[in-house]
Amino acid sequence: MFDQKGQIRIIESFLAIAVIFSAVLVSVTFPSSPDFSKQKSLSTMGTQALIKLDTNGTLGDLIIQRNWANMKTALDTLLPLGVSFNLTVFDEAGNAVNSEAIQNSNLLGREVVSVQYVCATRSQVVDFFAIRLQLAWTG
Amino acid sequence: MPSSSVDTFLACSVMIVLVLSAMAGTSKLMSPYLNDLAGRDDIERFQYLASNLLLTTGTPSNWGQSKSAVLSNLGFAKADAILPYELDIDKVTRLNSENIYSMMYSNLWQAFGVKDVSFQIEIKTLFELSIELVSNSTQGSQSVYEFEIIAEKSGMPISTSLSSYAVVKDFVNKTESSTSSDGEGTVTVGIPNSVNGTTLLLVFAKSTANPQVISFNAYAFGHNSPSPLPNGTFAKLSPLNHVLNASFAYATAEVSKAQVFTSSYNFSLTEKAQGVQTVEYLVPSLLDASPMVMVLTGVNGSTSFAEWVAYPQIPLQIGADFSDSIAGSRISVHSQIVTVNSALYEVVTKWGGLSSSV
Repeated sequence: MFDQKGQIRIIESFLAIAVIFSAVLVSVTFPSSPDFSKQKSLSTMGTQALIKLDTNGTLGDLIIQRNWANMKTALDTLLPLGVSFNLTVFDEAGNAVNSEAIQNSNLLGREVVSVQYVCATRSQVVDFFAIRLQLAWTG
Repeated sequence: MPSSSVDTFLACSVMIVLVLSAMAGTSKLMSPYLNDLAGRDDIERFQYLASNLLLTTGTPSNWGQSKSAVLSNLGFAKADAILPYELDIDKVTRLNSENIYSMMYSNLWQAFGVKDVSFQIEIKTLFELSIELVSNSTQGSQSVYEFEIIAEKSGMPISTSLSSYAVVKDFVNKTESSTSSDGEGTVTVGIPNSVNGTTLLLVFAKSTANPQVISFNAYAFGHNSPSPLPNGTFAKLSPLNHVLNASFAYATAEVSKAQVFTSSYNFSLTEKAQGVQTVEYLVPSLLDASPMVMVLTGVNGSTSFAEWVAYPQIPLQIGADFSDSIAGSRISVHSQIVTVNSALYEVVTKWGGLSSSV
């Protein structure tokens, strides 16, 4: 029943399908464009938390008092649950000021967003600090 | 029919079937990716809409204070705000459906002017405060009540300093205490047995890490009297533009005292005007970074009452109901920290496609 021409066409059809499937597979394995919306919302939340903490001078006061425990508690309250953070305070020379880690959990292995903020104390002698807040979604 | 034609026909059929299934497979594999790309724009768009809502004053800019103003553009920011995300106390208050001057969601949606989205707004304190009566005993001429206070944010304990007021008729007793690092604290109040009636324990809790982060709650109980009826049974209290409107449910209701409480201060309210079963009181503008709680104590026949309302009138929720949304429909949730009268609150906005509740 099957002659050579027909067999060739069947082989052709399988070849065509193989080409189509390989094209699909290649397109699926293409790296998807990165989703920046989550990072943007994290960065907005982090900036907002620092701005709100700084509105009445609390941020500067906590740095001057070296009250890192209260700094962590303040950020815990201002940031939503499910957000991990790590905060580092730098002086004008760029040296880290906080003697202990200000963080609620480890950020290792997570996609981290970093927020930079400059804080000036509200004392007679004004000190400037650079704050780096690293944030990531947990889970 | 020659055999080659049959073979060709078979081969073509196989080819068509396989090509069609390959196309279907491709579209199925690609659709989540394409949907994600489209949805990503939605998320960003909703983020901008949420920020716009909280950063603009709306039109007219004093629509919060003015009861007769026709809202043409929605925004909740304070007119002369110094800080970003500083909201107007009256615009916030008018979102509460328990206020007689509250806005309908349909009006807000129309004024917002984005026809293809619906939204829900929730405003609340940054942490929760619970009050529970643990014990009461008689010591000499007074009764001593002990309350357990728990301050937590979704289960995470908050260390706070507490200011508590026990209010019964004309009597006020203020006490100071705190919640420890486990979020638990105790408030003990003594109330003389010479007074009796519905008593209100108001508790303000300020985070020790940041005094702008504040929460409050009220607990009503009977002092030498039966258990009180729910808040709002005798009078509906509606603050707006620093005037408290009290609408009484009974003509026989008599107010003995109207007071305002914040974390640090308490004052008696001055009567502004009186109408048919309504009274208006002037509310002072206080600089304390704290919500104001206004309390009206009085009697209706032989039953005493202590009605209260917060200003800004929170917690509140208004807008589209997304709870019955179809599974898989895209709802975007945005949380923002805002300032109202120097205290910090959380605004959660939910965004989605047009809901039937508009």
